[in-house]
Amino acid sequence: MGVLRAGLCPGLTQDTVQLLRSRGIKTVVDLVSADLEEVAQKCGLSYKALVALRRVLLAQFSAFPFNGADLYEELKTSTSILSTGIGSLDKLLDAGLYTGEVTEIVCLCVSANVAYSLQQNVVYIDSNGGLTASRLLQLLQARTPDEEEQAGALQRIQVVRAFDIFQMLDVLQDLRGAVSQQVSSASTVKVVVVDSVTAVVSPLLGGQQREGLALMMQLARELKTLARDVGVAVVVTNHMTRDRDSGKLKPALGRSWSFVPSTRILLDIEEGTGTSGGRRRAYLTKSPRLPTGFQEMVDIGTWGTPEQSPASQGDQM
Amino acid sequence: MQFQPCDARQERARNCTDDITCSCVPSTGQGIGGGSQGTHLCRCRAGAKDRPEHRCRLLARLEGRSSLKEIEPNLFADEDSSVHGDIIEFHGPEGTGKTEMFYHVTARCVLPKSEGGLEVEVLFIDTDYHFDLLRLVTILERRLSRGSEEAVRQCLARLFVVSCGTSSQLLLTLCSLETTVCSRPALCLLILDSLSAFYWTDRASGGESVSSQESTLRTCSRFLERLAVEYRLVVLAATQSLMQTAWQGPAGGPGEPEAHYRPYLCREWQRLVKLRMFFSKQDDLKTDTQFSLVSRHLKSNSLKKHVFVIGESGIEFR
Repeated sequence: MGVLRAGLCPGLTQDTVQLLRSRGIKTVVDLVSADLEEVAQKCGLSYKALVALRRVLLAQFSAFPFNGADLYEELKTSTSILSTGIGSLDKLLDAGLYTGEVTEIVCLCVSANVAYSLQQNVVYIDSNGGLTASRLLQLLQARTPDEEEQAGALQRIQVVRAFDIFQMLDVLQDLRGAVSQQVSSASTVKVVVVDSVTAVVSPLLGGQQREGLALMMQLARELKTLARDVGVAVVVTNHMTRDRDSGKLKPALGRSWSFVPSTRILLDIEEGTGTSGGRRRAYLTKSPRLPTGFQEMVDIGTWGTPEQSPASQGDQM
Repeated sequence: MQFQPCDARQERARNCTDDITCSCVPSTGQGIGGGSQGTHLCRCRAGAKDRPEHRCRLLARLEGRSSLKEIEPNLFADEDSSVHGDIIEFHGPEGTGKTEMFYHVTARCVLPKSEGGLEVEVLFIDTDYHFDLLRLVTILERRLSRGSEEAVRQCLARLFVVSCGTSSQLLLTLCSLETTVCSRPALCLLILDSLSAFYWTDRASGGESVSSQESTLRTCSRFLERLAVEYRLVVLAATQSLMQTAWQGPAGGPGEPEAHYRPYLCREWQRLVKLRMFFSKQDDLKTDTQFSLVSRHLKSNSLKKHVFVIGESGIEFR
């Protein structure tokens, strides 16, 4: 970040930049970590001017500490909890999907339900090619027989396809730009579903490549900043693999990714029924709020109890 | 270059008869050692570096910051040496309670003295957007005897949160925190969650040489050391267990995480850490998930184990 150039901040002229560059100081970081007295002597610049310059650059580029009380006020108004519509899943998530966080979970039903019951827009980023509109329609039909409502809900789901990591990063950037320009619309994007993150990241991992892990962490950072800054709930899916040594099932993408989501729910096939039934067992394996180890039965065929109140609008706190 | 503490400079300023400007005079122009408006000052060549707001630093040192023992007696019971300026590392895989421990310590610090807290200020640097203010509020509400909004807000006013997106931003932020720390003598604790968040990104962007990959982290460590030592803060930093350990434990047994620690951050950082705590989780109990932490004092090489559980109101030691 921040290559020094003229006009980057008041007081930074082209001559100063040239002088600094001749002594090996090319970026903001170099200037800040250098010994200013030495630099003043070697470059022939005024010490006080350098100190002032450093102060201005720091003020411009460093992060600003926010007071906890102000942050709390802001969170109270901007955080929403979005119900997934499946009662048992909501219990595991502590009332629903929180905006500002990344949750790992299965997501087809979730997006359909959020689009219907909460009248919110959902962006579905598909990297598997596994999303079919007919399946979404089927889920919505189980929810409501009214065709207009089904159509309305379907309209609120926006599908984007991204089949490699760079496309996905582009999509996320575009989404940020689009949302930030959206001034007072009736319904804004509240949930972003990424299905699945494994499909774009796993080709990069493995071997001696460092870049793969760095790209994965960059994607993680994009998702998290999207969740935080824009105020959406990000849901990602991941696959399960077997641990090489112990043979136990664990989420894919390794240790570094395991730190990224705030909440993780593993879905497992109920013993004896096979995949033909719609029932799965959901385990809560990571949560910032609830103790882990809870499990619930989840019916992903028709999503659970239809008497889940559709009017459970998110704005809690 | 030898660093001269401010008092020594003041001494020299008082005794000096030359009339030359000192680089450590604050911009208001007022002399610190009781001199008149900026005229009688001293050039202290032996190690003068730019230090704004010396008055605050003196005050901070004179006032004395709370001892580490008070912050968490369970963890630091044996720390009889002066513990200001210490850097403590929390290390562990995901889901083992490192962030919870930060909330626990933060709650302890910001609660008012009447509720069993220390009433000091805390600065929380969040590098991976993991900080959950609502969870901290829940913990505070449970711990306050009257969990009213006003009381919680008062506690939260003692907390400052900074979010950094890249390692360069972390570096610049650490550098600019000097002024914040200076102007708030009640600031006693600096929490960094987590230091290893940029590890892979730095490695990829640093090219082939390990030294250039680690350069930002090295400078960050330097700044952290400066903040800790000069302003006598307690620094708690978390690092994640990103590396696969070579050891294969018996199936189902967690084993000793401490013995198989593989340091992967730069040497500068390893040198700074005084106390390292290894967090791990034991899932074998059917009722409550137990967490344990092993703390290792790096100079004296002593090991201590603590066990805790996490409830609604935060961490409870067993």
